[in-house]
Amino acid sequence: MSPVTPPWEKVLWKKQPYPDNYIPEGALDLSLRKNPNFKPYTYWPLVHLSTAITQHLATIFIFLCVFVRLKDHSLDPRVLIFLSLGCFFLGYLVWEVLQYTQNLGGSNHDNESNERIRLDRVKTFKSSILIFLALMSLSPVLRTLSAATSSDSIWALSACLFLLNILLADYGSSSPVIQGRHERLTSVLSMNAAISSSVVLASRLTNDLAVFALIQFSVQSFTLFPMLRRRLQVPMQTLLTLILSISSFLLAIPLSSTIAFLVLFVLLAVTMLAPAVLVWAQKYKNEIRGPWDVAVPKLN
Amino acid sequence: MEPISIAMIADFFHPDVGGVENHIYMLSANLIRRGHKVIVITHSRPPDRVGIRWLLPALKVYYLPIVPIASGATLPNFFTFLPYLRTILIREHINLIHAHASLSSLGHEGILHSHLLGVRTVFTDHSLFGFEDAASILTNKLLAGTLRNVDAVICVSHTGRENTVLRGELFKQSDDHPSRLVVSSNVYVIPNAIVAERFQPGPLKPTDTITIVVLSRLAYRKGIDLLVATAPRVCAAFPNIKFLVGGDGPKLIDLLQMREKYLLQDRIELLGPVKHNDVRSVLIRGSIFINTSLTESFGISILEAACAGLYVVSTKVGGVPEILPEDMISFAEPDEDDVFRAISEAISIVSARKHDPFKAHERIKTFYDWAQIAERTENVYDTVMKSEQRELWDRILRTMQLGRYAGPIYTIILLVDCLFFLFLEWWMPRENMDFVTHHWDHRQFAAIARSRTNN
Repeated sequence: MSPVTPPWEKVLWKKQPYPDNYIPEGALDLSLRKNPNFKPYTYWPLVHLSTAITQHLATIFIFLCVFVRLKDHSLDPRVLIFLSLGCFFLGYLVWEVLQYTQNLGGSNHDNESNERIRLDRVKTFKSSILIFLALMSLSPVLRTLSAATSSDSIWALSACLFLLNILLADYGSSSPVIQGRHERLTSVLSMNAAISSSVVLASRLTNDLAVFALIQFSVQSFTLFPMLRRRLQVPMQTLLTLILSISSFLLAIPLSSTIAFLVLFVLLAVTMLAPAVLVWAQKYKNEIRGPWDVAVPKLN
Repeated sequence: MEPISIAMIADFFHPDVGGVENHIYMLSANLIRRGHKVIVITHSRPPDRVGIRWLLPALKVYYLPIVPIASGATLPNFFTFLPYLRTILIREHINLIHAHASLSSLGHEGILHSHLLGVRTVFTDHSLFGFEDAASILTNKLLAGTLRNVDAVICVSHTGRENTVLRGELFKQSDDHPSRLVVSSNVYVIPNAIVAERFQPGPLKPTDTITIVVLSRLAYRKGIDLLVATAPRVCAAFPNIKFLVGGDGPKLIDLLQMREKYLLQDRIELLGPVKHNDVRSVLIRGSIFINTSLTESFGISILEAACAGLYVVSTKVGGVPEILPEDMISFAEPDEDDVFRAISEAISIVSARKHDPFKAHERIKTFYDWAQIAERTENVYDTVMKSEQRELWDRILRTMQLGRYAGPIYTIILLVDCLFFLFLEWWMPRENMDFVTHHWDHRQFAAIARSRTNN
């Protein structure tokens, strides 16, 4: 027997005086790295991130309350049209202000980009008029489109479509730098689900004006509003979340207090409880990393 | 060790080509040379590779009618293999099965069934897997279930062993340090080997042009993006460099585009797919071999290149740092700048003629040799054969420890398997079986061959 056994090395080419099943003590711990890139979430940033979901849910609740009111004739469709027009102009104003401040920050507002913004404005104006007229002329068709289907099927269908809308919606808060030119398929699907849902709901209304008002409202709240929402900064987001949540609660109370408190509970759970659960669940996180992982190539 | 009868079980075998296939064949051939009886059990390759075939030297292969689902692997279904396996193991008087590859469900099933016949089990893992994606989580759980009751596990590198131990849950908590993990003593590391004679270095090249060889599947996992990024830089920095790229795959287009963009048609030669027989002839055209893999369990292609006398540049991933001494290989991080640095280093070493291909070949010959690998594997078999086999109750207890949900599921599979086995014992009694009585006797074969040629 040799007086000094050489230390074990982690190589295969050398013949070592150790059996094949030899493992030095602690060799496993050395190469094993647990949770290496782990940044624990903290509570308040998660709450801020969850406001996007809360806003989306609150919008849907508001839309449903408005629909119920239109259906039992307690809300005049003309009021809704004027209200949504008002919201549209308010939203457009906010959009313009955001665009302006962003351009100031970017400080490269040469003639070309000014020209582009002007053209964009004309285009927006044209298309909004077009949509307005198209909706107006289509509303009699939309009213009778699924009139033959029984109400039960309509409720079930619209519930499914709204669920799809909630699941697939794009809750990412895109920073103003990345202007989402390339929209993901899921967010388009989500928008389509919401619009289809409002179309099938519209068939339960009795007159054309109500149908027009509802569809117009749905286009605003499910396509235009999310675009605006994504560009808002944190303090505005919080304010908006509060306004939307409170108004959805207030709108639901006269209809049924049970539903109103359910709405309130859902919104609170999403904003406050869910982040807390996520923060708590992090102690179970166990990510195992080691030399066997597929490396990520770094390219210039 | 006394000669025993061994059955190799794997989804992957000749006529398919690959690392695992070749490993099984070479190991079997060398075990036969050491006096054991070896058979291979795999699934059939319709239309013509079905039934029982003999391969040289005296290797009997059973091609079973089980349909593969994806890339040569069969569907894990836990029971359908048992009737075939029982018949084969009984009629061939098998003492030990050796299953290969963690994605080969035939191997897993073999380990599950063999204890019913008192046959011992060994498993070799050839690849590395992560722990993140759904596919890995699922296959790792399958592996853990199988390896619960296996008698020994062999891995091809130390990194591979760490990976397999974690995936297959082959550790327990230490008695004195509860936080420290102790690996079970039945996990071995036995590397692959190569047939060094097939990779003789070519004659010395008198020219100043240095050819860099890349032989790999052109896929993302092989790090072809790194190659695409560094090749133009190397060509720009060293006017005497040429590239020779062999292989096929989805990243071929990227290589072609790069070549066109930088007008390197005369510097970068693309060979397309290269047959395993032609590998040496491609390798000896160059003096530097580049491997840019992002994950590699063992890296047999690196060994082949080093054996053919090429200086190797490789990314430092997986088991690659273990296979060669540092003076035969330059390592790089998987980073464009570092790969470029390592290639420059290799070029300076080769152009200063500091790397002697023939000396490298002689050294590799002593590192990796199939005869030694077979001997080391035989030692594992010996330990397994001498150890006590686990009782069914012990197996049930160990299987139940797998987890709250996986434990009962695997236990049910284990028990149903026992019932199925009892049913087969009644339905196809052993007495009615065709036992194999005649074995391949090489001396007899040689005598007959000699007498025929003399007549």
